[in-house]
Amino acid sequence: MSLSRFSDFLRTPSLVRSITALLVLAFALLLLVNVGTFVMIQRTAKVNATIEHAQLMRRASRTVMIAMLDAETAQRGFLLTGRSEFLQPFEEARHDMEPALVFLEETAAKDPELDTYVKRMHSLADSKFAEMDATLAMAREGRIGEAIQSVRSGEGKRFMDDMRATVDQFDEAKSNRIAERTRSSQQSGMLTVIMDALAAILVVILAILSAWMVRRYVAEIQAAREQVDALNVGLEATVLERTGDLMRANEEIQRFAYIVSHDLRAPLVNVMGYTSELEQAGKIVEKAIAEAEKEREVDKEVVVAVREDMPEAIGFIRASTEKMDRLINAILKLSREGRRNLQPETLDMTAMAQGIANSVHHQTEASGAKITVQKMPTIESDRLSMEQIVGNLIDNAVKYLDSERPGEIVVSGEEAPGNFIVYRIADNGRGIAPRDHERIFELFRRSGKQDRTGEGLGLAFVRNSVRRIGGTIDVESELGKGSTFLLKFPKRLNLSEPGAAL
Amino acid sequence: MTHPVKIVMVEDDHGHAKLIEKNIRRANINNEIKHFDEGGAAIEYLFSEEVLTNGPLLILLDLNLPDMSGTDILEKVKGNERLRRAPVVVLTTTDDKVEIQRCYDLGCNVYITKPVDYESFAGAIRQLGLFLSVIQAPEIE
Repeated sequence: MSLSRFSDFLRTPSLVRSITALLVLAFALLLLVNVGTFVMIQRTAKVNATIEHAQLMRRASRTVMIAMLDAETAQRGFLLTGRSEFLQPFEEARHDMEPALVFLEETAAKDPELDTYVKRMHSLADSKFAEMDATLAMAREGRIGEAIQSVRSGEGKRFMDDMRATVDQFDEAKSNRIAERTRSSQQSGMLTVIMDALAAILVVILAILSAWMVRRYVAEIQAAREQVDALNVGLEATVLERTGDLMRANEEIQRFAYIVSHDLRAPLVNVMGYTSELEQAGKIVEKAIAEAEKEREVDKEVVVAVREDMPEAIGFIRASTEKMDRLINAILKLSREGRRNLQPETLDMTAMAQGIANSVHHQTEASGAKITVQKMPTIESDRLSMEQIVGNLIDNAVKYLDSERPGEIVVSGEEAPGNFIVYRIADNGRGIAPRDHERIFELFRRSGKQDRTGEGLGLAFVRNSVRRIGGTIDVESELGKGSTFLLKFPKRLNLSEPGAAL
Repeated sequence: MTHPVKIVMVEDDHGHAKLIEKNIRRANINNEIKHFDEGGAAIEYLFSEEVLTNGPLLILLDLNLPDMSGTDILEKVKGNERLRRAPVVVLTTTDDKVEIQRCYDLGCNVYITKPVDYESFAGAIRQLGLFLSVIQAPEIE
């Protein structure tokens, strides 16, 4: 999982990846410089050690040379004077030379070129000392002339010359090597410095590059954020605008309903007024006919028209206009309710429902029905709306009880998840057929046997009010068993929500 | 009352006008009733020299007129130095609380909603007639 995410990270070109790569590169460079410097220091130390060693060897070769010179000087002194004290430096020289030669042999063992010189030095030294020992032995025996003769033969001088030349060659070889070592050491030192400088420049470039990328990235983020902010502002403005549109549309509909219902009322006043006038006129005619009948036979058609047709027609006109008046009033009431300002307050729903139950007590008592109000949570909402909703639902429950069984109405409520409260008004009344579950909430629509008075307004009002205070209403019902109306409201009516103001 | 009170009725619905007149007459009010079915003509009449100089009057005003709102007329009448004392009875179908308040704010003296039910309508107009028979309308000076 994490591995695949890592490979995704590597594959996807992104700024974070680039910066990470740059940093890794910079660290690698620093590490390289570090290692290089370390190696360089090690090497320099080694070179220094070899140079010091070489100097020691040079010194040893000189020691050998000096010891031989000392020995020769002592030999000659002894030969000249014959005094044995001259021989003391001779022995000292031999004594000094021995460790120097051993040192040289040991150190030069691995180097064929030097080894040759050292071997020659050794053999020359041995030869010289052998020659000197021989002359000294002659001198001690008193054969001075022979000894001097031996010296004069130049053999010892040849040994010395050879020795000097060999030591010089050795010294030169050694010097050359030291010079070479020093040069290579200086070269590698310079190389390291150049490498370090290059690495430093590279690191600086990488740093600048990273900084630039980060800067660009930050600028991009800033730009993106600004864009989001701008979009947000736009969105808010759009929402506000839409809400405003909706509210205006809603206001317009309400205003329309209001105006229409008013304008419909005006002709209705005339219809009803002149119907009454007509009725009055009819009565006068009827009276005249009654008078006339006393004197003569009146045309039967006239009598039927005046006594039956006219009152019947007037009756229908009146009933219809009255109904129309009720409907118009209903629409008016609905639109007026929609314009009323809501005032949220904490409502004791138990007390409110009990009060409503008490107000219909005379009806329930007459039919032997019982209303039970259970303890319910309080709610913060509009009192008038709530009273209308619960009142209407309890009225309906009482109105549509089934005469077959004693009525039982239960009002209950509890808190629901998401800061809601659910109230239930349940009855065991006649119930509502499933196909009417939605229809009953529509204006002027009713369900079931039309044996109760009503215009089909109550539930339309209820739903309108419920929606206005941010709630929902549902019905669960089975025909012949009873109905339960479920009300769901937010615990607290929030008027600042666009929906609530509609 | 030196001059009999003249009733100026501004009502666009002729049916209503006739019903109102009928019922006023039935209440035994015989004052002259001058009917206008539009606001413009009514204002022209109300602000003519003839009315301004001649006797007291009472205005019956409908709010929903074709050419203007009754409240415009009310405002003009109550804003006029001479006419403002004339009682104005607003007689309309509107029973909107805001509208009623607005009319009283503008200085209307009585606001009556026309009941659709004719019995109530006739009753209301007759009571208005009774009211008209006892009120003292101030002189227009």
